[in-house]
Amino acid sequence: MPLDITLFGIQMPTLLPIFAASAVLQILFDRVMSDTGFYNHVWHPGLFRTAVFICIFTIPSLFIYH
Amino acid sequence: MQADKTLMISAKAFPWKRALHEWLSMDAPILIYMVKATIAGLIALWISMKLNLPDPRTAIFTVFIVMQPQSGLVFSKSYYRVVGTIVGVGISLILMGMFAQDPIWFIGFFALWIGICTAAGFKYRNFQSYGFVLAGYTLCIVALPVIETPLEVFDIAVSRFSEVVVGIMCATIISDIIFPRHLSDSLLTAERERFGNILSTLADPDSIFGTDEDAHAQTARFSSGVVGLHAIRINSAYESGADRKDRQHSQHLNHEYMNLSTTFHSLKNMIRLLEPNTSKEVTDTLINLYAPIASSLKRFSSTVFSADDLNRIIQELLEVKNTIISRVKREEERLQPLLDEDAYDAFIATSYLMIRLLNELHIHCVTYLSLLKHRLSGKTSNELNRVVRFSTHTDNVLVALAALRGSGVLLVTMGFWIATGWPYATFTITLAVVIGLLIGTLPSPLDAVINFFKGGVSAIILAAVYDFYIIPEFTSDLLTLSLVLAPVLALVAWWTTQPKWSGFALGFIFLFMYECALDPYFKIDPTLFLESSLAYLIGIIFAGAAYLLVNFWSCSLTQRRVAKILRRQIITLCEGQLTLQRSALESTGRDLIQQFSTQGRLNMRSSRLVFEWLLLTLEIGRAIVSIRRTLQRLHPQYRYESIDNGLKSIRVFFETPSEALRNALLNTLQNTLDDLRLSENGDSNRLQSLITEFALIRTVLLRVDSFPMITEDSCR
Repeated sequence: MPLDITLFGIQMPTLLPIFAASAVLQILFDRVMSDTGFYNHVWHPGLFRTAVFICIFTIPSLFIYH
Repeated sequence: MQADKTLMISAKAFPWKRALHEWLSMDAPILIYMVKATIAGLIALWISMKLNLPDPRTAIFTVFIVMQPQSGLVFSKSYYRVVGTIVGVGISLILMGMFAQDPIWFIGFFALWIGICTAAGFKYRNFQSYGFVLAGYTLCIVALPVIETPLEVFDIAVSRFSEVVVGIMCATIISDIIFPRHLSDSLLTAERERFGNILSTLADPDSIFGTDEDAHAQTARFSSGVVGLHAIRINSAYESGADRKDRQHSQHLNHEYMNLSTTFHSLKNMIRLLEPNTSKEVTDTLINLYAPIASSLKRFSSTVFSADDLNRIIQELLEVKNTIISRVKREEERLQPLLDEDAYDAFIATSYLMIRLLNELHIHCVTYLSLLKHRLSGKTSNELNRVVRFSTHTDNVLVALAALRGSGVLLVTMGFWIATGWPYATFTITLAVVIGLLIGTLPSPLDAVINFFKGGVSAIILAAVYDFYIIPEFTSDLLTLSLVLAPVLALVAWWTTQPKWSGFALGFIFLFMYECALDPYFKIDPTLFLESSLAYLIGIIFAGAAYLLVNFWSCSLTQRRVAKILRRQIITLCEGQLTLQRSALESTGRDLIQQFSTQGRLNMRSSRLVFEWLLLTLEIGRAIVSIRRTLQRLHPQYRYESIDNGLKSIRVFFETPSEALRNALLNTLQNTLDDLRLSENGDSNRLQSLITEFALIRTVLLRVDSFPMITEDSCR
């Protein structure tokens, strides 16, 4: 994947749209997990959420900087 | 709960353990919060300096604006801050792109936007309003610095936005990872406390039948907290762990609590009004009727509530309810020949209120039990399907006033800028607008502005020490800068936890962050420092003057507005669509009163008067809704003309209340009641409920001494 992309005539790092997309994904994921009561079984929900977000964000980012 | 109990027992045995417990529950959270805020601020500073963002102070400033002790609050505040910043950046790009060369259009649209933001920030609740504040503020910090060089606007927009995002990320991650404190826990505690309050208040017959005023403190406690708890619930939605069932439970509990407290106050009010001119027979009968409720509640009111306790309470309440209903029937038959018509009506209405109180208490207990079970085991016993909405009402006059103030401040400071031609006047504009946006919703804005000024002056003095002595003398890299800054950040964090320091802390944060040399490369210029400080202070003075001048919101005007709105509510209930639920009626009324009592400078006496109006409106409004619902299902044979006449004359009375109309209304209601009583054995249940509701309205109207209308002396 390229390092920079152009959206609406603005050049920006590819990380930015990836960040936005993973934020949306994380929100959906979070909604599902809290509604199914998954967080009741997790020791530190905040840490878990952060970790999940980092995973979601890092996996596509690795492809860019590989 | 078991843990609480053992802790209490051990606390009695070892005094130092109690001290430790107290320290853990009172002081430790503040200490943790200070540490968290400091760490978040320093990380934000470090990241934005590493990323070479031009203005790291925006990031650290954002951290301190967003940081709250509970992580749910941080999430929702951050969310709205991001949204507000995006909108503000967009608007500044549009404004600079279109009107950069044309001062009149530029200023005109600028003022319009600030007016819209102030109005919306005032109209919306919680941190939603904060989003609008930010949308206005961002326009100032993005558009004004580059007004001379419009081509740079895109760069500054991008860098401001990145700094804000860095600050927000640090604040949210730190507050959710290091010793997180969840709103949903404090929500449960608050809920438990409220439930205990209800039981202890209702267990004491004096709180209803007592005539003295010392019970007032207790009952005021009963009525407060609906709006506040609602706000906590909204913000806790951003935390993990609070799932949909939880939210539904809290919504229902809040709604039922509102109903319960309205019924309680109506009952109390009714009994107070009965006292002077009704035979003692009625009051004695009522006290006797209430006795079993009180005695059965008394046994529970002091215990800690487990699910088993609640089960037993619910069982008992059910039994008590059945016995009381049958006893009320018997008493009605006994009293009918003894009393005159008015007193008999009053008895029917009051006993109805008592049964309703019991009913609502029962429902509330069931919902609370279901919440507890859900919390403990994840299972729910009953399904809560109905969605209860909390509706709010904001008075348009208040909103217009706020918009006027916001735009006015902007225009005046713009005039100041144009007249003086001072390059630093943009700082004046920014701060004046920010204060206009931020402080408008606080209870006493003028005091807050004064505190803001004090905080600003102290911040400038401290910033001078840092800029010209500590930073150049002792810092060589980021680590030492962080070490040097940490004490100040911790102090600021401590101030923000103290409610009485809030205005001061806000001013301190603003001025310290803007005056302290937190640039990527240390640069300091005494002229710049002095001139910008002066500009900021002038901005605060402008904003304070605006609060002083645009504030013709007197007590009598407030009363007039409230009275008008409440009367209009009854009128719409009489003729409008029947879609309005009781929950909407109640929450709107309460929200309205809450807002007017923070904004409207009511004294003790008039705020009690306003509360009485609210009760009257809620009670009559509820009765009207119930009557109209019953009418829809009533057999056409019994649909007397006098029922419609009754409703119509209620409407006429509330359009223009006067003594003559009140007498006419009472007569009409009497006719309605007579008509209904003649055919009581037909469609008996529905007719019976119509009789009760009309009797309730009539009794309230007959005895209540204050109506939602302006009186001469209530403001003195």
